[in-house]
Amino acid sequence: MSLEKIEVDALVVGSGIAGLQSALDLADQGYSVAIVERNPSIGGKMISLSKVFPTLDCASCITTPRMASVSHHPRITTLTYSTVDAIRREGKTFTAAITRKPRYIDEKECISCKRCEEVCPVFLPDEYEQGMGAKKTISIPFTNAIPQFPVMHPEHCIRCGACARACPKDCIDFLQEPAPVEIKAKAVILATGYETTPMTAKKQYGLGALPNVISPMAAERLLAPHGPYGRVLRPSDGMTPGSIAYVQCAGSRDKSIGIPYCSRVCCMYAIKQAILLSGSLPIADITIYYMDIRAFGKGYEQFYNNARAMGINFVKAKVARITEDENHNPVVRIEKQEGTSGPEEIKHELVILSQGLVPACDGSKFGLGAANNEFGFVKLSDETVSSAVTDGAGVFVAGTAKGPRDIPDSVVDAGSAAIEAASYIRRL
Amino acid sequence: MADVKQIAEQLKKLTGLRGPVPVELRDRVAAQNKAQRAVLDALKAGPKTVPELAAAAGLPQDQALWYVAALRKYGKIADVPGKGDYPKYELKGGEAK
Repeated sequence: MSLEKIEVDALVVGSGIAGLQSALDLADQGYSVAIVERNPSIGGKMISLSKVFPTLDCASCITTPRMASVSHHPRITTLTYSTVDAIRREGKTFTAAITRKPRYIDEKECISCKRCEEVCPVFLPDEYEQGMGAKKTISIPFTNAIPQFPVMHPEHCIRCGACARACPKDCIDFLQEPAPVEIKAKAVILATGYETTPMTAKKQYGLGALPNVISPMAAERLLAPHGPYGRVLRPSDGMTPGSIAYVQCAGSRDKSIGIPYCSRVCCMYAIKQAILLSGSLPIADITIYYMDIRAFGKGYEQFYNNARAMGINFVKAKVARITEDENHNPVVRIEKQEGTSGPEEIKHELVILSQGLVPACDGSKFGLGAANNEFGFVKLSDETVSSAVTDGAGVFVAGTAKGPRDIPDSVVDAGSAAIEAASYIRRL
Repeated sequence: MADVKQIAEQLKKLTGLRGPVPVELRDRVAAQNKAQRAVLDALKAGPKTVPELAAAAGLPQDQALWYVAALRKYGKIADVPGKGDYPKYELKGGEAK
């Protein structure tokens, strides 16, 4: 296998909104950029969201133009479905070892016609839909994925050959191997993003085994117009839920799971989802159980007040336990912190756990001098001086890789990382 | 169009490299095909909700919903407009009417 070599000014690791923005900001200034994404499509978490707070703009309407700009930019090389195995510092430059994972198709020939996906007989849970929908063993990751190439999962392939027979361009390659790529760059931007705390984090909340206790990412998909069911239904039996509850701080501000910090976005995404739910299910009762509402950004407090005015029920209470009745209705045990105290058990039909944000990638593993903070996010060398400079020379950080933050902050940060990287490259 | 002989050769080579398709995967796909057929057969009698479908097809309700989502995505079944706690589904093109 021959080694593909790419030489650029900057390497951006991760193609969520922060990675996309910093790549674009650098490329528009005339720098060449390589952006590496481990998933089959660029766009990160943001492309799977329904709408954004507090404007209720459609998330993909903001993300897809940036995705398209990145993928068509003459100075940006995009590597998707690729992993960064190592980055070595060599004098003033970095050499990154990348592996392109096999999609088992010839990307130069594929015309994205989806015929392979149509004829494939094997269904799989679709992780893009948080398992609520299905995909095929060979499938295009999602409707607005970029690039629009199908990916085959050989561990689920029954080798019937239907995809290869249906392909009009003869581009299915069952024997494709991983391909090594070497990228030389003068600066590195880590935009590796976040994961949410796992559903299994708290045994009091059902360990992910209660079918109608779902993650906020699953709720985003239920609310998305092209979501798994095309409307809001609960996963246990396809019922339109009439009573929905949010459990705030279900994965942050909780020392018992090792995450004492505030994840900064959960209050606002819960309020946003509650507003959207009350729009699509006008007669549903929606309750948010919270410790305190942190609505700190521009227009956030007004957004919160609007939600209250719309009739969303905010209950200041800590949820102790979630169980379910015989019809899989979640039963939430709470202790109110205002008015009458004492424990209460309240039945809902769907519960969303407002999970917190944890790092998706250990930035220090590359050994470039960029250290982590005590929670595993990339540490800034001096927060008061720059929001992008790490302890490693030439290594910058953007977005949630350095800690929980919302989309507007991630975009601003990405610009700052791009400027810091550009200034570093010019000084070399 | 693809050369059928070439595909067969590639698949044979693949089996040589990775061994035969695991029995567990074959069983899973067989069960999937059976469930899919059961859902589609149940809808031939007319539009149904997920609990009705689950009862008719002999599937747990959450699995029936998953097959509904799958078959809806790949154009085999469609939503029936209407109100109620449980939406109904029908075969695409109103074949069941």
